Amino acid sequence: MGQLVKIRENLKTVAGPAFAILAALIIGGIILILIGSNPLRVYSEIFTLGMGTYLGITESLKRMVPLLIISAGLIIVFKTGIWNIGGNGQFLIGAILVGGIAPLLVNKFPLYVFFLISSLIGFLGGALWISIPAVLKAKYEINEIIVTMMMDFVAIYFTSYLVKYPLNALPGQFPQTTVIPMEKRLPFIPFTEIHIGLIVGFIVVILAHFFIRKTTLGYEFRFLGENKKAAFYAGVNISKVTIIAMLISGGCAGLAGTNDVLGIKGTFQAEWNPSYSFSAIPLVFLARFNGIALIPLAYFFSFLDIGGEFMSRSANVPVYFVQVIKALMLIFLGVGEYFQKIGKRFWKL
Amino acid sequence: MLLGAFAAFVVALNTQSVYWGLISGILAGLIIALIFGYLVIYLKTNQIVTGLGITLFGIGITSLLFRVIFGSTFPVVSEITSKTDIPYFSEIPYIRSIFSLHIITYISFALLPSAWWVLYKTNFGLNVRAVGENPIAADAHGVNVYRTRYVTLLIEGLLAGLGGAFLSICDLSFFVNNMTQGRGFIAIAIIMLSKWNPSRIFYGALLFGIFTSLTFGLQILGLNIPREFILMLPYIVIIVLLCVLARNTRLPGAFCKPYERE
Repeated sequence: MGQLVKIRENLKTVAGPAFAILAALIIGGIILILIGSNPLRVYSEIFTLGMGTYLGITESLKRMVPLLIISAGLIIVFKTGIWNIGGNGQFLIGAILVGGIAPLLVNKFPLYVFFLISSLIGFLGGALWISIPAVLKAKYEINEIIVTMMMDFVAIYFTSYLVKYPLNALPGQFPQTTVIPMEKRLPFIPFTEIHIGLIVGFIVVILAHFFIRKTTLGYEFRFLGENKKAAFYAGVNISKVTIIAMLISGGCAGLAGTNDVLGIKGTFQAEWNPSYSFSAIPLVFLARFNGIALIPLAYFFSFLDIGGEFMSRSANVPVYFVQVIKALMLIFLGVGEYFQKIGKRFWKL
Repeated sequence: MLLGAFAAFVVALNTQSVYWGLISGILAGLIIALIFGYLVIYLKTNQIVTGLGITLFGIGITSLLFRVIFGSTFPVVSEITSKTDIPYFSEIPYIRSIFSLHIITYISFALLPSAWWVLYKTNFGLNVRAVGENPIAADAHGVNVYRTRYVTLLIEGLLAGLGGAFLSICDLSFFVNNMTQGRGFIAIAIIMLSKWNPSRIFYGALLFGIFTSLTFGLQILGLNIPREFILMLPYIVIIVLLCVLARNTRLPGAFCKPYERE
C-alpha cells in the first residue's frame, strides 16, 4: 500500500511539468499553423534530427553541459528565494576571462592542472560579476532582479569591448581571443565525441541537489527561501547566506562559460551570446528545483535546441520557435499548478 | 512592450499610418496584459515566473514573426511622422526643438501628473493603494480586489504597448529583435529610484533619456572612448542610482502577492 501511495505522489509531481510541456507543444503547434507551417512535420523533424541521428544526439549531449551547470547554480539561488536573471552576463564574463587568460597558461601547466585553473578563473569571473547585485541585495535590499538584468547588458557591452580591443588575437579580422589548440581542449569521453564537460555537468548538478537538501548550510539556504523572518529569528545570517547563494549561482554560470570556451569553441568570439540562462530558468522550474529530475529535462531542452536548429534549416521555421515553446512551458507550469489545486478540492468534495 | 513595438511596426508599415500603428500597439499591450492578469490574478500563478515567461515569450515570438514576415530584410517605416509643432513656441530659436516633438512625447509628459492625480486624489486611486497595501482590509471595505487589479494591469498594458509602439514607429522607425533592450525593467528600476512617487519619476526618466541620447551624442563627437563603454553607461547609471537612492525601499505591502478570498 505504502508503495502505491508513493507512486501516486510521484505521479502528481510529474503531472504538472508534463502538462506544461504538452500544453506548450500544443500552443506551439497552433502558432506553427498560423505562420503557415505543418506542425506535425516540424515536430517530427525536430525529433528525428535531434534524437534520431548520431550527430543530433552528440550535439544535444554537448549542449546539455552549460544548461546543467547553470541550472545547478540556479537551483541553489532559487531555493534561497533569490532571483538571478543575469546568468547570461555571468556566463559571458566567465567565458571571456577564460578566453583571455587560458591561452597564456596553456603551455605552462600540465593539462589537467590547466583545466582546473581555467575552471577556477571562469567560476571566479561569474562570481565577481554577480557580487555587485549580491552585495546590493544583502546590504541595501536593492531588488536583485533589476540589478542582475542591468548587469547583463553591461556584460554584453563590456565583453564586446574586451574582445574587440585588448584581447583581440588577430586585429583586422573578425574579433576573437587566441584560439586554444585542439589537443589542449577538454578531451572526449572514451568511445564518444562528447567532451568530459558532460561528466562535470552531472557532478555539479548532483552536488547542488544534495548540497541544498542534505547539508547544514543548504538547510539555512532553504530556511531563508521558505520564511525570511523565521530564518532571521532562528539566527541565520541572512546577508551572508544571500551573498554565498548568489556567488555560487554566478560562479556556476561562469563555469559554464569555461566549458564552452575549453570544450566547444576554443575561443571567445565577438557577438557571441548563447543566452543559455534563459533556457536554464524554465528548465529549473520545470524540474521543480530537483537536480535529479533536471538531468532528463536538460536533455529534452538541449534536444529541442539542437533539433530546432537543424529543423530551421530543413523546414524553414526560424529557430526562435524553440524559445517560444520554452517560454510557454514556463507560463503553463503555473497554470498546471492551478489545475492541480482545483483538482484536489474537487476530489475532497 | 516588445509586442506593442512589433504590432505597431507591422501595422504602421502596412497602413502607412502612425495612428493605426499606435492603436495596434496599444491593443497588443492590452491583450498581453489581459492574459497576464488572467494568469496571475485569477489562476494565482507566481507573478515573477509568469512575467518572465511572458517576457521570454515576447522576445521569442516577435523574433519569430519578424523573420517569417520579412525574411532577412529590414524594412523601415518612413515618410510618416507625427511630430507636432506647438504654434509660436516652435519658432523660438535654440529651444525650438523642445516644442517640436512627437505627440506621444507630450502625452507622456501629461501622463505623470495624471497618474499622480488618479492615485492620490480619486476614489479609484485610493482603492488601488489599499489593494496594494492590504487586500484583505480593502476587500472588507467592499473594494473589488480582483477588478481593481485587472484595471491597473490593463492600464499598464495599454501604456507599455504605447511605449513600444512609440519606440518602433516614432523614435526609430524600424524593428530589430529584442529592441526594447530591457526598457520595461528600466522603467521598474526608475519607479524604485523614485520611491513610487510620480513626480520624481519624471527626473528619473529624464536622466535615463539623457544618458541614452548621450550615447548618440558622444559617438557623434567622436571622443576617444570605445563605443561599448558609452552604450553600457545608461545601465551603470541606473545601478549606481539604485545604490544611492533606493536603499531599503519600502514596497507596497501586498506587492507580488496573489490575493485569495477566504
